Amino acid sequence: MSFSQIRDKVHAGESLDFADGVALFRHPNLLDLGQLANEVREGLHGQRTYFNRNMHINATNVCVASCLFCSFARLKVGDPGAYTMSLEEAWGRLRARIEAKDPITEIHIVNGLHDGLPFSYYTDLLAGLKRLAPTIHLKAFTAVEIFFFHRHFDMSVAEVLEKLRVAGLDSLPGGGAEIFSPRVRKKICDDKCTADEWLDVHRTAHRLGLRSNCTMLYGHIETIEERVEHLLRLRSLQDETGGFQTFIPLAFHPDGNAMSRLPGPTGVEDLRVYAVSRLMLNNIPHLKAYWIMLGLKTAQTAQWFGANDLDGTVQEERIYHMAGAETPQGLNLAELVHLIQSAGRVPVERDTLYNVVAEGSALLPARPFRREVPSHLEVLQ
Amino acid sequence: MRARLRLAAVSSLLTRPLTDGIEHGLGSDGFELTFAPLADCERRLAVGDADLALLPPASYRALAIAHDLDLRVVPGLAIVAAGQSPTSVTAVEPSGIEPLEVAFGVTWDTVERWRRQSGLPYVYALWFGRATAAVDGEVARLLVQSLERGLAQLPASARAEAHGGAPAGYDDRSAHKARYGLGSQELSGLGAYFEHLRLAEKSPVVTRLRLFDFAYLPEKPQTVVWPRQKAQSAEPSLDVLLSDAAAGKRLSPAQGLRLYEEAPLLELGAAADERRRSLHPGNVVTYIIDRNVNYTNLCVTACKFCNFYRPVKSKDGYTLSREVLAQKFAETVAMGGIQILLQGGVNPNLPITYYEDLFRWTKANFPLALHALSPEEVNFIAGIERLTIRQVLERLVAAGLDSVPGGGAEILDDEIRHRISPLKCSTDIWMQVMREAHAIGLRTTATMVFGFGETPAHIVKHLERLRALQDQTSGFTAFICWPFQAEGTRLKLRDDTTATRYLRVFSLARLYLDNFPNLQASWPTMGPAIGQSALRFGGNDFGSAMIEENVVSQAGAVFKLSADDIERYLRAAGFTPRRRNMRYELLPLCESVDPKLETSARVPSPGARTTTGSTTGKVTGNVTGATLAIIGAEN
Repeated sequence: MSFSQIRDKVHAGESLDFADGVALFRHPNLLDLGQLANEVREGLHGQRTYFNRNMHINATNVCVASCLFCSFARLKVGDPGAYTMSLEEAWGRLRARIEAKDPITEIHIVNGLHDGLPFSYYTDLLAGLKRLAPTIHLKAFTAVEIFFFHRHFDMSVAEVLEKLRVAGLDSLPGGGAEIFSPRVRKKICDDKCTADEWLDVHRTAHRLGLRSNCTMLYGHIETIEERVEHLLRLRSLQDETGGFQTFIPLAFHPDGNAMSRLPGPTGVEDLRVYAVSRLMLNNIPHLKAYWIMLGLKTAQTAQWFGANDLDGTVQEERIYHMAGAETPQGLNLAELVHLIQSAGRVPVERDTLYNVVAEGSALLPARPFRREVPSHLEVLQ
Repeated sequence: MRARLRLAAVSSLLTRPLTDGIEHGLGSDGFELTFAPLADCERRLAVGDADLALLPPASYRALAIAHDLDLRVVPGLAIVAAGQSPTSVTAVEPSGIEPLEVAFGVTWDTVERWRRQSGLPYVYALWFGRATAAVDGEVARLLVQSLERGLAQLPASARAEAHGGAPAGYDDRSAHKARYGLGSQELSGLGAYFEHLRLAEKSPVVTRLRLFDFAYLPEKPQTVVWPRQKAQSAEPSLDVLLSDAAAGKRLSPAQGLRLYEEAPLLELGAAADERRRSLHPGNVVTYIIDRNVNYTNLCVTACKFCNFYRPVKSKDGYTLSREVLAQKFAETVAMGGIQILLQGGVNPNLPITYYEDLFRWTKANFPLALHALSPEEVNFIAGIERLTIRQVLERLVAAGLDSVPGGGAEILDDEIRHRISPLKCSTDIWMQVMREAHAIGLRTTATMVFGFGETPAHIVKHLERLRALQDQTSGFTAFICWPFQAEGTRLKLRDDTTATRYLRVFSLARLYLDNFPNLQASWPTMGPAIGQSALRFGGNDFGSAMIEENVVSQAGAVFKLSADDIERYLRAAGFTPRRRNMRYELLPLCESVDPKLETSARVPSPGARTTTGSTTGKVTGNVTGATLAIIGAEN
């Protein structure tokens, strides 16, 4: 399939197939991909780039799974670097943000698979956070964690989700999908739930009316074909349920884990994955450039390669930073807005469900990308 | 009325376009043209029977050495091998035309081999003569006119030459065998060629192509009008403008401004990418292994954006001793480095003899090229020594200077310069140092640092000035730009120094600087990911696997890459990596290296598991495996 044929299909609004996806990943001209992905992106979202004000809580890194690509997890309580927050401690994180008058709208909670905590730890965690901030959106527990709860606490997936929802769960993050190919999962995350199980948790969540995100971990040992297969499985579940909001490609970070002899993907490959994802996933509305793992510069550039979301302000990110991410652990609003405006896009603050919280002058005094002769040039003496 | 200028040239289909106008009476009272065989042309020049001769570069070197002649070249004019090899390489020309062997003593085989190995053009011949020949701007202009007429007449002259042979064959072959012009790539090719001759002769004498001083007119940059007038209806659409620029059509300042302001990022990038592909069709991206040595950090310039310098009486000030330099240079050689980029602060305690001694000592002890002293430093030395810029450059060249780095250009606009670095040399001085350097046969690079709150007009004006000088001298090899790195400096400003602006400025530069062959991506400031992406926005060079960098790393840019990393990044972006020297001559491919060396010699990142292996293989002259990131703190 030639690139121009694929372009025609995209223009005609047709879905791309497996062969198209492989051809796109192999297409030598990066900017061809970028321009086509950008057309799709601008067709869906115009010049808008979304972000939110959020915080991360990683309540524990104790994890019974030992995924090769992970630098965050510790196998047992008491292992060097292992930690589990008390509920007070976890709630304290939110309290600190509230006291700092930081108007966050979302908490992103992802943890290790800790086999020593009761189910009530999780429900209490959510309920306590909601007590502190009743309107805050709790995006918590990847499908892998939900599936672990289902096995560990002997409840059906639906039951787990229902109980968590009663406690305050609002939606699911998209992590833990890695690469669906059994070949790769066997090698890098054999203890994790299978692709079918991962997809089934999301299917169940969508049926219960919960929205969720989805991800793909790329740049390790997967093949191009396995990437395309992964994207197609996500697209097919989305056709069935429509419950995915956002797709987030996650670049593998090689430091401090069992796969650190691998180099990790380079910038051009990152941009390529973004562009191809945008083109393949025509039924998932949003594509997020997660700046924590992509780096600020590439994340900013990805806004021209299909991405329309830069995640949020985040605070105290741990998972990627333990894998050598050199980005800051958080950004302030002005920095995020600048990252969007300087790329020539229009920043829009959203909540988790993509309702507009603020845009235009409500955000910040907008600084235009092209500046007049510098009156702002201040020199410290 | 001055004496007629006596010209000598070989008569051949290849030389005909250059001589055609003169043969047909152009400047008839000024020129006296003689056709003679090659050896006779050489002899005439040697004994003074000719003032200017159209001769191969080998003759330039041979005459200069054998007869101790001080030779000068007419800028802009040369016969250059072009096109693909004819299907039969026999170089048998249609009847009536001298084969290349006879005209210039080379075969297509030689030409092809040269171009393949060096990646640079092969120059058949150029106009040169003694420094005393009365070659001024008028003479140069007439010689250019003669070529213009000759090229217009090419098919006719080919037919005339063929004595009624098969004209179609000539048109085709002559048009594909040669092109005419002495641009930057041709100068690089000549530089590389002279160096190969020197090595073959095992001679210490370096040949530089010097230009007739008065043969080129001062460059005339166009005025940049700001704010830009609204596009007139007669102006081409943005799409047309982009595709013209991608095809190499020259942009006016207003058009440059319009592209900067209006073109969507990826369309600008795609046009630059197309232009890069036509300038560098082989899909090769080059890089160099050199070391950035900052011999002193004492500096009187006190630029507000600099976090590296120390005032002259500072306790943290240093000037590196010979012992430290020797160690750094030896490490560089051991890691396969071929060049030292030597820049400092502007230190008033160092007389010109310091540099002369340092250069002589370096050349006597290390096989390293010296890419040294930016225009600011050259100008400062001239000031404290009461010498002209030309005199300083001549003395430094005699001591071993090979080329001049293009640093300190910042934004070539005195309003901006005054604000950020009031004590630094003016735009005119910076340009003058470069002009003088080019005139005496030094190659230089050019840079731009943006993000000081300048307008797009300042950026276009900067590019325009560089392009206008390059039109005159062709002395720049490459252009490098990066955004101001603010961390820790005294300059607090909130200009846009993000990745997308870098890519925009970079793509614009590729399109605007149509006479610059090379554009270097700046990964040390932008990081490898954006540096690598810039290669898809018009870049064809990945700069240096830097063994050391002290300046931008003091202001927050902390990226480091080994030669191995660089090659991986280039391959991942779909390019073939090749090492080069300062002339952008491709270096021979090196053999692969013990893979054990690669993993064990890598510096672990902070927080990473510690590597248990120690360095196994010893670091040989081959760097592929060794990490080259011994950055910073050792000073």
